[in-house]
Amino acid sequence: MEGLFESLSSIFTIPEFTGTIGAFLTYFIYFSRLMLPVAAIAVLSRCVRSMLREQYEPEVWGYLDLPDGSRVPLRHWECTVGSAKSCDVVVRDISVSKNHVVLIRDEFGNWGVHDIGLNDGSGVNGLVIGEKGAALEDGDSLNLGDCDLRFFNLTEEERGIIADRRTAPGREISPFNMFFYVSICQFILALSQVYNAQPEHKSVIAMSFTALFAAMWLYYIAMRALGRLGLEVEAIAFFLSSLGLSVTSSSVPESLLKQVFLLLAAIILFVILGFWLRDLKRVKATRNPAAFAAIALLIINLIFGQEYFGAKNWLSIGGFSFQPSEFVKIIYIYAGAATMDRLFRRRNLIVYIAFSAICVGALALMGDFGTALIFFAAFLVISFMRSGSIGTVFLAVTGAGLAGFLALSIKPHIAQRFSAWGHVWEDIYGKGYQQVRAISAAASGGLFGLGAGKGWLHNIIAADTDLVFGVLSEELGLIVAVCAVAAIIVLALFTVRNASQSRSAFFVIAGCASVSMMMVQLGLNVFGSLDILPFTGVTFPFVSTGGSSLISCWALLAFIKATDTRKNASFTNRDPDKMRDYNEFSRLYDEEPQQGDFVDDEQLSPDAFPYGQDKQDDQSYMEQPRRNLFDRRGEKRRPLK
Amino acid sequence: MKKIKKRAFFALIIAFSLVVGMAIWVIRLWENGSDWVMLRANQSVFNEGILDVGTVKDRNGLVLAKAGEGVFSYAEDESVRRACLHAVGDYAGNFGSGALSAFDYKLAGYDFINGVSSFKEEGASLRLSIDADFNTVAYDALAGRRGTVLLSNYKTGEILCMVSSPSYDPNNPPDVSLPQYEGVYLNRALGATFAPGSVFKLVTLAAAIENMPDLNERRFYCEGSVNVGGDTVTCTGHHGEQTIEQALANSCNVAFSELSQELGSEVLAEYAEKYGFIDGLSIDGIETAKGRFDKAERGTSDLSWSGIGQYNDLVSPISMLRYVSAIANGGVAKEPTLLKNGKSGKSSLMSSETAEKVSQMMSYNVSYAYGNSLFPDMSICAKTGTAEVGGESPHAWFAGFLDDDKNPYAFVVLVENGGGGLSAAAPVASRLLQAALG
Repeated sequence: MEGLFESLSSIFTIPEFTGTIGAFLTYFIYFSRLMLPVAAIAVLSRCVRSMLREQYEPEVWGYLDLPDGSRVPLRHWECTVGSAKSCDVVVRDISVSKNHVVLIRDEFGNWGVHDIGLNDGSGVNGLVIGEKGAALEDGDSLNLGDCDLRFFNLTEEERGIIADRRTAPGREISPFNMFFYVSICQFILALSQVYNAQPEHKSVIAMSFTALFAAMWLYYIAMRALGRLGLEVEAIAFFLSSLGLSVTSSSVPESLLKQVFLLLAAIILFVILGFWLRDLKRVKATRNPAAFAAIALLIINLIFGQEYFGAKNWLSIGGFSFQPSEFVKIIYIYAGAATMDRLFRRRNLIVYIAFSAICVGALALMGDFGTALIFFAAFLVISFMRSGSIGTVFLAVTGAGLAGFLALSIKPHIAQRFSAWGHVWEDIYGKGYQQVRAISAAASGGLFGLGAGKGWLHNIIAADTDLVFGVLSEELGLIVAVCAVAAIIVLALFTVRNASQSRSAFFVIAGCASVSMMMVQLGLNVFGSLDILPFTGVTFPFVSTGGSSLISCWALLAFIKATDTRKNASFTNRDPDKMRDYNEFSRLYDEEPQQGDFVDDEQLSPDAFPYGQDKQDDQSYMEQPRRNLFDRRGEKRRPLK
Repeated sequence: MKKIKKRAFFALIIAFSLVVGMAIWVIRLWENGSDWVMLRANQSVFNEGILDVGTVKDRNGLVLAKAGEGVFSYAEDESVRRACLHAVGDYAGNFGSGALSAFDYKLAGYDFINGVSSFKEEGASLRLSIDADFNTVAYDALAGRRGTVLLSNYKTGEILCMVSSPSYDPNNPPDVSLPQYEGVYLNRALGATFAPGSVFKLVTLAAAIENMPDLNERRFYCEGSVNVGGDTVTCTGHHGEQTIEQALANSCNVAFSELSQELGSEVLAEYAEKYGFIDGLSIDGIETAKGRFDKAERGTSDLSWSGIGQYNDLVSPISMLRYVSAIANGGVAKEPTLLKNGKSGKSSLMSSETAEKVSQMMSYNVSYAYGNSLFPDMSICAKTGTAEVGGESPHAWFAGFLDDDKNPYAFVVLVENGGGGLSAAAPVASRLLQAALG
C-alpha cells in the first residue's frame, strides 16, 4: 500500500514553474478563477433545463369503466379509488367510502386491488378482496359498495404507443455536456489547488482530483452502456463533491486520500442502493429488519459512543470512526416511506411515529441537536405526505418545540449556541469565534473568490465541515457558493416534479424526505455559520469533509434518483418497455421497437417469442417464470353478500 | 397518488425558505460586507491584527505609508514622516483619526464584487487631500512648539495641510512617556478643543450683524476696561471711540462685552451651535471633538467673557477652519474632507451679506492692525486670538483666508501657550501661505 502510494505520488509530482511559464501560470490561474462561476452556472443551468424543461408525457397504465359509463385512465402504478375528490378515480356514490380501495400495478404489468377501508363491501368479480388484496385481471369487475366498475389493462397497441411517447431525457441537453462542465470545474479547482498548495500536498491533491475525474467518467460510461440518459442528479452530486474535494484540499490535505476513498465507496453504495430500489417487493420485505438494525445502531452508539464538542455521536470500531446517525438517516427514510396500500393503515403510521420518536430521542440523548433537527424535518415531511394532515404537523412542531425547550435547559452547550445566535459580533473570541470568521472570510471573497486554496478560513477549527459555506465563498466566491446551495434546491424541484409521474408512493415519499433532509441540513449548516440561524454544527451535503456524511448523502441521492421515471433515464427503475418481455401480451412483438419508432401493426407477429434476445441487465429475470404478485386465486375467498 | 403528488409540494416550502435565507445573506452582505472584512482576524486584510494591505499617498502621489505581505513602511523622507504622522497615523493604531486607522476599510479595498481580492494583492491606493510639502513647511514653522496648523481649499473643502505637534518619526518611535511627548497621540486639529480667545469674536460679530440693525451706525467707547455686574472686563488697550470695524481690528473686549450683553447668552449659544462649534463634525467618518459654550447669566462678566472667547468656551481648530471657510465662501461651508477629490457636502451657515460684512472687517483687520508686511501680495482676511489659559502663557490663534479665487485657502494656526496670536501664530500662517502660493 505504501509502495503503491509512493509510485502514484511520483506520477503526480508537480514541477515548480518559474520564468515565463510561471508568470503565465499565475495569470492563467488568476483568470481561471473567473471561469469557475461560469462553469458552475453552466452545470446547474444545463441540469435545470434538462430536468425541468422536458415535457412529461402523461402515462396511462390501465382503465376503469365507471357505472356512469365514463372511462377513467389509471395514470400511476398506485391509484386510490373512492368518493373523495382527492382520489385518483372518483366514484360518486353514497355506498362508496372516501378512500375505498387502492389499485396497484407491479413492474410486470399485473394489477391488484387492496381494500383500505377493510369493509366487506368491496370485491372482485363478486368475491371479497380480503386483507391481503386480490388480483385484478383485464375485464374483471370491481365491486365497491353498490357500484360495479370494470377494469381494463392496456392493450398491446396502446402499450407500444405509450412506451414510445414516454419522455426520454437527453433530448435537449446531452448528459455528456453536463459532465463536461463538471470536469471544467474540477480542472480549474485542481489547477488552483495544486498551484497554491504546500509542496508536500501538491501530488496528493492532483491524485485526488484525478481519481474523482476518473470515477465520474467511468460512471458516465457505465450508465451509457446501460442505455441510461438521465444523469442530471449525478452531475449535481459530482459537482458538489468536486467543491468538497477543494474544501478538503484547502483545509485538511492530509485526510484527502481517505476522503477520496470514501467518496468512491459512497458512489458504489449509491449504485447498489439504486439497483436495490428497482424491486419494491424486496424493499417492502426489508423495511422492518432495517428499522430494527437502525435502532440497534443507535443503542450501540448511545452506550459506546464517543463525545466530540458536546455531542456523543461518534462510534469507533477497530480504529475506524464514523457517525452512526448518518447511516440511520438512510434507513429512516427507507423504513419511513410506504406504498399506497399501507399508507392508509393507522397501525402503520403509529409504528412509524414510534420509530421516529426513538430515532430523534436517541439523537437528543447524544446531544446531537442538529442531526435530531434534520430527522425531525424528515419526520414532518414523511408524516405529512403519509397523512396529509397539516394539523398533525402543527402538533408535531409544538411537541418538538417543547422537547427542544427541555433539551436547551438540559444541555448547556446547545443553550450556549442559542444564546450566541444574533450576537456573534459581541463575542468574537468566544461563542461567536467561528461564525464571525466565516462571515468575514465570506465577505472578503467577493463574487469570484480569492482563488481555490488561497483563503485563510480553512485554518479555523471545523472549517471543512461546519464553515464550508464560508470557505467556498472566500476561495471560490459568492456565485459558486450560491450555486452549491442552488444545486440542492434544483434536486428538490426535480424530486417534486417527478412526483407527478411517479409510479409508487414509496418513491415519492422517500425522494421528498431525502431531499428535505438534505435541504434542512444545508440550511442549518449554511445559515448556522452565517448567524442567520443558531450554529448547530451539521454538515453541508456532499461538500463537507467527512466519510459518514458523504456516504449518507450519496445514499439519499439514490432515493431521489428513484423518482425519475423518464424513459431510459434512471437505473433505479426497470424500464416498463423491457418488462413487457415477460408479459403475455409482449409475445405479439417480433422485434423490440426502437426509440422514436412508432409501432407498426404489420410488424406484430403472434409467433415471435423474444426471450432469447433480451437485454443483459435483466438477464436474471429471463430465467424466472412470470410472477404475479397479486395472484391469490388459490386462496379461498368469501363471496360478497 | 393525486394526494401524494400534491403533498410533495411540502418539500418546496423548505426549498423556498432556503431561497429566503440566501436572500437575507446577500442583503446583509451588501449592507455590512465592508465592516465584516475589517475583523482583525481576517488574514486577507490584517496580519496578526496589523493592517496588511493598501497604500496611503498624499495629493501628489507621494507614498506616505504602504503595507503588504506582512511588511509595512512609511514615507521615505523623515521630515515628511514627522509632519504627516497625525494625518497618516501608524500601523500600531495609536492614532485613531489617522488614515491608517480611520480609513482602514478603504485601504482594504473591499467592494461587493471583488471582495478584498485584487490581482496585485496590495489592497487599495488611497489619496489624501494633504500635500506633504505643505505639511513639512507648517511643521517646520511650528518649530517644535505644541499646536496645530490647518489649511484647506474653501471652495472644495479639501484639507491641504494638517499638522499636529508634538510629533515623531514612526520609523523610530520615542519613549512617549517623556514629558515632551505628552498627548502626542492626539491630533490637535481634530481631536482637541482649546479656548478660542478673540477668534471667537468672529462668531459674536456675525450674531451682532444679523441681530442688531444699527450696528454700522453704533460707536463703542473703550476706556481700557468696563465694569459688568461688579466685575471688571479688561481690554488690551485704551481704544476710545470706535466703529465696529475698528473694534474688531482692535479686538476690543469692551466693545464685544457690550455686544454680548445685548445679544444675551441664548443668542450667542444659538450661533455657536449653528456654526458647528458645539456638536463636533464628521470628516469622512472621523468624529471630531465637541466644543463647549456655557450660557452665562445676563448682566454678569461671564456672559461678556463668553462672547470674547474666554469663560468656558472651547472650540476645535477644525470647526474654526470650517467657520472661516464659510465666511470666505459666501456663507456656505464646504464640509472639510481629508480625501483627494473627496465628495463633501455643504451647509449654509450664514447669509452671503453677513459673510461679506465679516469678510470685509477681517480684511480691514489685516491692513489696519496686523500690517501687510507678513503677507505680501495677498488679499488676506484674518483674525488673531490670544486665549488666556489660567496661569500659563496664552494660546496663540490665527485664523482666516485668502480672498482670492485662484488661491481659495482658508487656514487656522494654533500655537499652544505660544503667546500673542499676532506674534506667535501669524508668522506660521505667513510661511505656510507663502509656500502654498509658491
